[in-house]
Amino acid sequence: MIARNFPLLTIMILLICSFIMPIVKEAKTFKKLSIISMGASVVLNISTLIYIKYDGSFFYRVGHWDAPWGIELHIGMIEIIIGILFTLVASLVIWYSFYSVDTEIPKEKIRFYYLLINILIASLLGIVYSNDLFNSFVFIEVSTLASCGIVVIKDKKENIKATLKYLILSILGSGLFLMGIAFIYSITGNLNMTFIHNELAEIYIKYQNTILISLALFTVGLGVKSAMFPLHIWLPDAHSNAPSTSSALLSALVLKAFVFMLIKILLRVFSLEIVIQYRVLDLLLILGSIGMIFGSVLAIMQKNIKRVIAYSSVAQMGYIFYGIGLGNSLGLTISIFHIISHALTKSTLFLAVGSMMEQTGKNLSDLKGIGKEMPVTLGIFTIGAFSMVGIPILPGFISKWYFALATIDASKLIYLGVILLSSLLNAVYYFPIIINGYFGEENLKGKVFMSKNKPVKELLPVLILTVGIILVGIFNKGIINAINKSLI
Amino acid sequence: MMEGILNNYYETGAIILFGVGFVTLLMHNNLIKKIIGMNIMDTAVFLFFISKGYIEDRQAPIVRGVHKGVEGYINPIPTALMLTGIVVAVSMTAFALGLTVKIYEEYGTVDLGQIMKMRGDENDDS
Repeated sequence: MIARNFPLLTIMILLICSFIMPIVKEAKTFKKLSIISMGASVVLNISTLIYIKYDGSFFYRVGHWDAPWGIELHIGMIEIIIGILFTLVASLVIWYSFYSVDTEIPKEKIRFYYLLINILIASLLGIVYSNDLFNSFVFIEVSTLASCGIVVIKDKKENIKATLKYLILSILGSGLFLMGIAFIYSITGNLNMTFIHNELAEIYIKYQNTILISLALFTVGLGVKSAMFPLHIWLPDAHSNAPSTSSALLSALVLKAFVFMLIKILLRVFSLEIVIQYRVLDLLLILGSIGMIFGSVLAIMQKNIKRVIAYSSVAQMGYIFYGIGLGNSLGLTISIFHIISHALTKSTLFLAVGSMMEQTGKNLSDLKGIGKEMPVTLGIFTIGAFSMVGIPILPGFISKWYFALATIDASKLIYLGVILLSSLLNAVYYFPIIINGYFGEENLKGKVFMSKNKPVKELLPVLILTVGIILVGIFNKGIINAINKSLI
Repeated sequence: MMEGILNNYYETGAIILFGVGFVTLLMHNNLIKKIIGMNIMDTAVFLFFISKGYIEDRQAPIVRGVHKGVEGYINPIPTALMLTGIVVAVSMTAFALGLTVKIYEEYGTVDLGQIMKMRGDENDDS
């Protein structure tokens, strides 16, 4: 029974620890506080997972107020898997940041950096767990402020500009989201997702226009925040200028929380039967496909390695929107599986690239011959890139395979070409980096073997992430079944 | 159609304000004007929400002397929600203004068009 309190407890632990950080003097202490609180959340989330496995999903009343009046958390299998993913990736990124934070962030701001990461992860968990629309809105705003904070912390000219762009578009997104809540509240009189769902089932025929408006507002509002294709313009600047640990968190976790919120709204608030009557899913499908192709095309044109990976995020988010847009349960399941696989892969890529950039430069041409100087780091990068392109066993392949199956299920065969084309385009910009890194006599001339390699203990968190990628690929059946079961 | 708009004049006004704020936020290059637009947009949502909670001929939900029962008062939930909304909007505005000050210190202007022209050579994309 006590495991029911754990989800709320994780959020509270992270928030309380973050507020203790400013009053701690020693730099060592707040770093320890940060990693311990994040590690504790991983442990608590895993024990909740075991509880849910035996006792099923549950609703948690915050402060013992009953549902329509108080705030509720809904913890199911999917939520807890995503919760574990978020806390695990965040703790590995924090671990990695201990070795790189001094070079990237001004010394007096390091303490605030860890504070912001803790707040960010707490609010993202809140978005994932909450069953209350307005509560989610507050968490969304908190996470927006925190994620802007971890971009601007570098305090360079470019960062401030990128953050402002990000902030303005995020505010636009939250405004639209709040307006969506206003419309749905005006016809149902509830903020709790379950209650709204029950009300809507009865009255949706009477209020079709209102439902369409609020559905569109939610989709566009969350679409801005999770970089749906034509609304992604803030992403490359923000992700490429941030410190590499921040980029890993932003790309791997922050985008995912918002897209998961969208899935929750479509499934839990409106339900698939109602959503399918409007053209919103077609819109998601088309924008997702365009994003899959143009994200990759734009990535090919970049010279800066971090911008390449940032644009690749746009393409991968396209896959997730594409899966939602297919509108069948397999598509939704694979979208959630792709959230997991992309979160692990993208954080690995950003961290590997971050450690390569520390030694060389930020342009693609600087990375020639890096395979001889840093073979392990480029090896990690290679596994991540293979997963993105879709080499078998790795999770990227699994999700592409099931996306194709879901497309056939939905009998939209033309879109198979989009998946194929997008995979090929992925290969076009990832493979040259690897090939130029490892091979080519001109590239390797004058490079000393292992000369720039990092010590093993600094690479350990990234190695664990790589092992995570491979494990998710091997145990894909179990994860997909668990997601699919709790989806309905 | 027309009647519906006139009867729900609060909502109509809120939507018009929302449009004004939205366009100001997107179209203006001046950062201060962008922030003002964002505030107008937020205020429009507050107005919309609070007008949803208002019921004619009823009092504010403050008990003075006798409790008049549920029929005597307006719906307090939207008002309470918008208090939170205002706090969120204020912190967002403060953060945006702080960044604008930083931008002015670094670039010497608050015009986004001019700032974009000054961009470095490494960010060459569409």
